[in-house]
This record gives sequence, C-alpha cells and structure tokens, in this order.
Amino acid sequence: MGATDTIAGDTPGKRILLMGNEAIARGAIEAGVRVAASYPGTPASEIMETLASVAPKLGFHAEWSTNEKVAFEVAAGAALTGVRALTSMKNAGLNWVMDMFMTIVYGGVRGGFVIAVGDDPDAHYSSNEQDTRFAAFYGEIPCLEPADQQEAKDMTRFAFELSEQLELPVMVRSVTRISHASGDVELGAIQKLDRKPVFDRHWKMPYRWNVYGPPGAVEKHRWLHSRIPLAKKAVEKLPWNKLELKGKPKLGIIASGLGASYAREAVKRLKLEGKVAFLKIGTPTPLPEGMVKRLLKAVEAVFVVEEGDPLVELQVKAIAKDTNCDVEISGKLSGALVPVGEINTDIVADALAETAGIKLREDKERELARTEASKLVAPRSSTLCAGCQHLGSYWALKQALRKAGGNVWIVNGDIGCYEQGGYGLFAKAVKPSFSTESVRYLIDTPYDTLDTNYIMGGGVGLMQGEFHAGYKDGAIVAVAGDSTFFHACIPAVINAVYNKSKGLFLVFDNSWTAMTGHQPNPATGENAVGEQAKVLCVEDIAKACGVDFIKIVDPFDLKATTAAIEEALKFDGFAIIVSRRVCTLQAQRKKVFAGKRIIVDQSKCTSCGLCISLGCPANTYKDKKGGIDPLLCNGCEMCAQVCPTGALRIGE
Amino acid sequence: MSETNLIIAGVGGQGSILASHLVATTAIRDGLRARVGETFGAAMRGGAVASHVRIGKDVFAPLVTKDGADVILALEPLEGIRNAVNFLAKGGLLLTNTHPWVPTDVNTGRAEYPTMEAIKGAVEKLGGKAIIIDATSLAQQAGNVRTMNVIMLGALAGTGKVPVSVETLKQVVRENVPPKTVDANLKAFELGFAATQKG
Repeated sequence: MGATDTIAGDTPGKRILLMGNEAIARGAIEAGVRVAASYPGTPASEIMETLASVAPKLGFHAEWSTNEKVAFEVAAGAALTGVRALTSMKNAGLNWVMDMFMTIVYGGVRGGFVIAVGDDPDAHYSSNEQDTRFAAFYGEIPCLEPADQQEAKDMTRFAFELSEQLELPVMVRSVTRISHASGDVELGAIQKLDRKPVFDRHWKMPYRWNVYGPPGAVEKHRWLHSRIPLAKKAVEKLPWNKLELKGKPKLGIIASGLGASYAREAVKRLKLEGKVAFLKIGTPTPLPEGMVKRLLKAVEAVFVVEEGDPLVELQVKAIAKDTNCDVEISGKLSGALVPVGEINTDIVADALAETAGIKLREDKERELARTEASKLVAPRSSTLCAGCQHLGSYWALKQALRKAGGNVWIVNGDIGCYEQGGYGLFAKAVKPSFSTESVRYLIDTPYDTLDTNYIMGGGVGLMQGEFHAGYKDGAIVAVAGDSTFFHACIPAVINAVYNKSKGLFLVFDNSWTAMTGHQPNPATGENAVGEQAKVLCVEDIAKACGVDFIKIVDPFDLKATTAAIEEALKFDGFAIIVSRRVCTLQAQRKKVFAGKRIIVDQSKCTSCGLCISLGCPANTYKDKKGGIDPLLCNGCEMCAQVCPTGALRIGE
Repeated sequence: MSETNLIIAGVGGQGSILASHLVATTAIRDGLRARVGETFGAAMRGGAVASHVRIGKDVFAPLVTKDGADVILALEPLEGIRNAVNFLAKGGLLLTNTHPWVPTDVNTGRAEYPTMEAIKGAVEKLGGKAIIIDATSLAQQAGNVRTMNVIMLGALAGTGKVPVSVETLKQVVRENVPPKTVDANLKAFELGFAATQKG
C-alpha cells in the first residue's frame, strides 16, 4: 500500500504489494542510501515521493531539486564522498543531465551511485518515447532493466553494490508499465551502513574527481573503457540474466526487462513452453555475451523482445556475426515488432506466432460485436480541472490577443498542466495546411491556445528566435508554470534581456508542481520532507534578471488579467506577467478556498456559448443552454464573469 | 482456474486504484501472486482510469490481454463499456454501477451518453453477462457516498468470481481505509455483497 511504516520497515521476507516506483525506492532504502535527489516527472515521481516520505525517519537526505541536472549533481557529489546516492528522473529528465552524465563516468564514483530512469514507451505522459538504455551504452555504464516489481527492488539494491564494485554510476531503467504497475514484492533486510563521508583528491587515481587534472580526459576515458570487461564479467553471473536451453529447439527468444514478462506470457499462450529456448536479459548493456553466444550456436532463429528501440537486437546481431552468421534474427530491426509505441502480451504473441509459423484464429462475429459496442463509447477528453486558475489565464490571454495580438500571434507552450492548452480537445479533425503565408487559427476553448510545445523551458527560448527572425505578423508570447520557471527558464529570461528580445512571457504560478502530483517547489513554502522552506518569487527573480515590465495578476479576476496582458502585449520590450493563484485542488485540500454557489437562470441564456468556451469541465451546455454540474463546480466565479446575460451569476 | 484477470474501471477520484490494490493485497495474503497495471491519461481528476488486476500462481505481465478479462468491475458505466469493448472475455462479467460521471464531451453536447440497456445489450452481444447495481445509492445508505468503491468490491466478492477469501478482503479493507470510515466501509462491503449474492 505504500504506507510509510511498511516501506521503512526492516521486515525481511514480508511479501507486500508495491508499485514499481515504490519498489525502486525500497531497493535504495535496503541498500542504505544516504542522499537522494530528483525533479518530478511522470512516470518516475513516486520514487522520490516514497523516499521523501521515509527520509526523516530513516535519517537520510531526500530532496526535490530545481531540475534534474542539479538533482544529478547533488547525488553525484554525495557519491564522491563514498556514501550511497540515488537520483531519479523520467526519460526526458535524463536529457537535462547528459553533460554531467557523460563526464562523471571519466573517473566514476566512490560510493554507490544509482541513476533510476522511468522511460515512457507509448508517451503516456511524455513528449517523446526515447529509450534511455542507449544513454547507458553511450556513457559506457551498466544498465539494469527489471521485468517486474520484485526485480525493480532487487536490482536497485544490487545496483549500489555493482556501482561500488566497478566504481561507476549504474542505471536502473524502468518503464511506465513497471513504474506505474504494482506487484508482489518480498522485502529484504535494510543495510545499516553508517559510512563516514570522506574526501580524497587522488583516490586510486591522481586527480580522480577532476577531469582536467592529470591524467586528463583521454586517459580517464581509457580508464572508463578498462571497466567494460569487468562489467561484462559481472553481468554473466547475475540471477536476472538466465538462459533456458534444453534439447534442440529451433527458435530462441531473447527478451529484456518487461519484454521478458510479455514474452513469457506469449510463450504460455502459444503453448511453446519447453519448445523454445529462452534467454531472459536483465542487463541490456553490457549483455551477458557468453549466454548470447551459447544460444546463437544452438538455434536456427532468434526472436528479440524489448521495450523501446532495438538495443539488445543490435548487439545480438553484432555477436552473431562472429558466432553463427546463419541464425535468423528478428525483432524491431527486422520489422517483426514495431519500434514505435509500447509492446504488450498481445503484440508479442502475434509476432511470435508469425515467427514460429503458428496461425491464430480470428473470431469475425466477435469483431462485429466489438465494432457495434464501440459506437456506445463516448470519449472522455482530458481537461483542466473545474475551477483551475489556468482557465482564467487562458481566457484573459485569448481576449487580450484578440485586441492587441495582431493578425497571427504565436503562443509558445511549455510543460505542466497548462500544456493542455495545446491538446486540441474533443477529437477535432485538423487538416494540414500548405500555406506559404502566416495563418490565423481561432481559439475556441483554451485547449486551442498553444502553437508550439516541446520541452521544459523551451517556449521562452523559442519566442526569442521568432523575434530575432523578424516575425511581424502578430504578437509573440510564451507561457510556463512556476516549477518550470525555476527548472529551466531563468537563463532564457536573462538571455532575452541581454540580447534585447521582445515579447510577453506569461508565468502561470500556482505554487505547486501540480501535473506530476503536487510536489513542492521553490514557490511553495515547503520542501520534499515537509519542512518549511523559503518562498522564492518569480517577480523577484525577473527583476534581478533585468526585466523592465513585470506585473502580478490574479487569474480569477478575468478583467484585470486581460487588461494587464493587453498592456504587456503593447509594451516595446520583454515583459513578464505572473498570473498567480494557488492550484485550486491544493487550495481545496488545504481548505484555503471556499467558492460561491453559481446560480443558473436558463431563461436568460442566449446560447452564445461563451461559458463553455471557458473550457471548465463544470460548465454544461446541453441543448445549447448554459448550466453547471453542481458536483464538479467549486464556485470560482469565472464563468459568471464570462456570461454576458446573467444566466450564470454569483450567488451566496 | 490458473489465473484470474480483473479490470476495475472508473473515473479519477472514484477510488478504482485503491480498490484494485485492495484486491491484489488480499490475493498476496492468500499466497498468490498479483499484478496491477494502471492505465490513465494525463488528467488527474475526472479522467478515465482502469486498473488491470491479475491474480494467479504464474502471472508476469501487468496488463490484461485483449478479450482476456474474466470480470470488469465498473465504478462508472461508460468506463465499463469502454473497457468491455476491448477486454471482456467471452463468458466474462461486466459488473457495473449505474451512476454516470458524465464526461465534458457529453455535457457540452459533443457526444452522447449510452443508456444502461444499450450497454447491457452490447455486453451480451460480446458474449458476456452484465450485472447492474446502483452502488452510489447503496453507498449513501452506508452513510458515506465515497464508499461506493467498497460497495462494488463487496458486490465483486458476492459474485464469487475472484479467488480471494472474503474474510481476508474485509480485513484488508478495514486496514486500508481512513480509521473514521471503517464502519461505513464495512457496512458498504456487506451491502454490496448482498446485492450480488441475491442475484
């Protein structure tokens, strides 16, 4: 259940249900982690949430850092002093740390340093599907890839040992279906290390922690390279790499991580148990080459199953070149499986059936019934929450852009709840345009607002390029939240001032890192372990960065917010508006916000549709009459401000 | 039965994930293995949520396969049919609450909400069976509308379709709901249990 007592309990042998992320956290706890640092990112956030919930009790340091790069360095710094440290992040988070990631390996670490990454095949919560196992390959460090929650726990625990054995960081690569799935996990004992942090500049190697100190980067790279044989030897003996080869099967399956769980189910379904060889992989890099070679020599064909891109398959092909050139290898490179989206038991079973020459029966009658039944399934579009303050910010932005935004404005988005401003809801069919001129598109609901959106902090940089390109067809705007501001926007704000960019940067400040589950950040007033913390204000930082136009507005006040944005759009320079109100969900939880009742008088409704263009899920519009879903409405009053006829008005 | 595949479907905020964890925890206490795969979109509240619960001696993957659900327990009817279309096994059971959580798409006139009769008919055409109970009203009867998920758990136990002991499940409910709500939740469990045991 993830209860603090259970996660922190020294109860070896106990079997409990753990979410993959809780299992990773438990693995770190069992290994005696001393420092853990992270930035929230789905599907990895619960690793740190779990660690932070028990850190004060168990006496280790846990923090939400301002971004993944800082978190990585905090954890790495601890590992240099010989204690055990962990940093966790989502797939895209690893991109932020690549500089340090690629460099700290030149010399490695003293205490165990584990990098736990939650990949997101199928991009359930992410802007890409990147397979971060390739980063481990790139950085020449081992990667452990669990097949279930038990392995997630056990591998994380072991990763610290392996890290100390090799004196290198070790990656644990999870995926959404491990991190956000739960399974039965048998707990192990909690190691009590009580290590004293020590520092030795020349530990086992001159200038160990200084990549420029002699021996320099090339020699340190040579040292890193010399660790590979040791890593290869180590993974050959791990329980998570296992070859099942009996008799003379024609087909062998090589399956890594979660792919091994799907492959086992597929083998069971196709009744191939005992008829195929099975190499289960727990370390996609380095591979247990000895086992791979033994399999390749024994079979005629190999089917590779892995979640993400074909990292294992590529290496197996390379090994086959020198081992058994005739073996046929299929997987994501061959097209048997598609390296886009996620795999599952059905996909693997279908591909395996094809590879093994098994025909699966189709049930046409059922397919017809399915088609009929699916017509009943109304969509449930994801929206911002009822009474979300972002609805007000977006409403005001739309009004101001219409008045002062020129012909074709550009609104650059960013990552957070407000990214839904670019989701284009309600299954709108948009046709691609091939215009050679700027094209104006209407903003119907807030979900049509954003024109660009890629990564954390990306929008405020893009807007500057759009300006310097000489774009004159309309206003240039960027939006970002408070957590994103601290994470990635500050250098871009300084750049805008220094390089004389113009445009409006609208900061949606709700004081929480809301989208990933309401983690605290420097705007919140508390830290990861619930201690009171200093509140940093976006406007203070903007001022220190030299921004000349700064205004603070309350997004529930639509009129004032619209007026401020309009003024900023007319400002001849770089302007920042901080649209500030605490996240409505948090305000309700903490009982600091009690809204008023909205009174509905449908006789006054002229079916103008303005209320639903606000985009609040509590507004209804049945038979083109404005109304309120009383179960969802929290009385933020924004729709009553929007309604021009008083059909929706503020009550007591 | 070597394994049981259950999907608990609902809308974010109804307690489907908690319900799935309670079933899985019960199975683990009974000495079985369990997997819970959660599927949900980006929205935190009001989004479609489905928890895939797999129980048995030999389960590996976190998700139920296509047409592989022995039971779909729906805390919300639209979410029941959404999952039944792809996952309900032939001969499987859709056990659903009657009370809808109407999506914005319907509220704003962009889509239509299906009738209970249409849902029942579609499930039968898929080769399954539908049991429909007004769990939301029963939860009010139990004294706390938020116990609806436990009404549905009781109803699930009443069908005998999931290989966990009713007493262990009740104990797990007792341990995992807020202390002040234990009585209401246990009453809810009994009301749900009775609702399906009769039928």
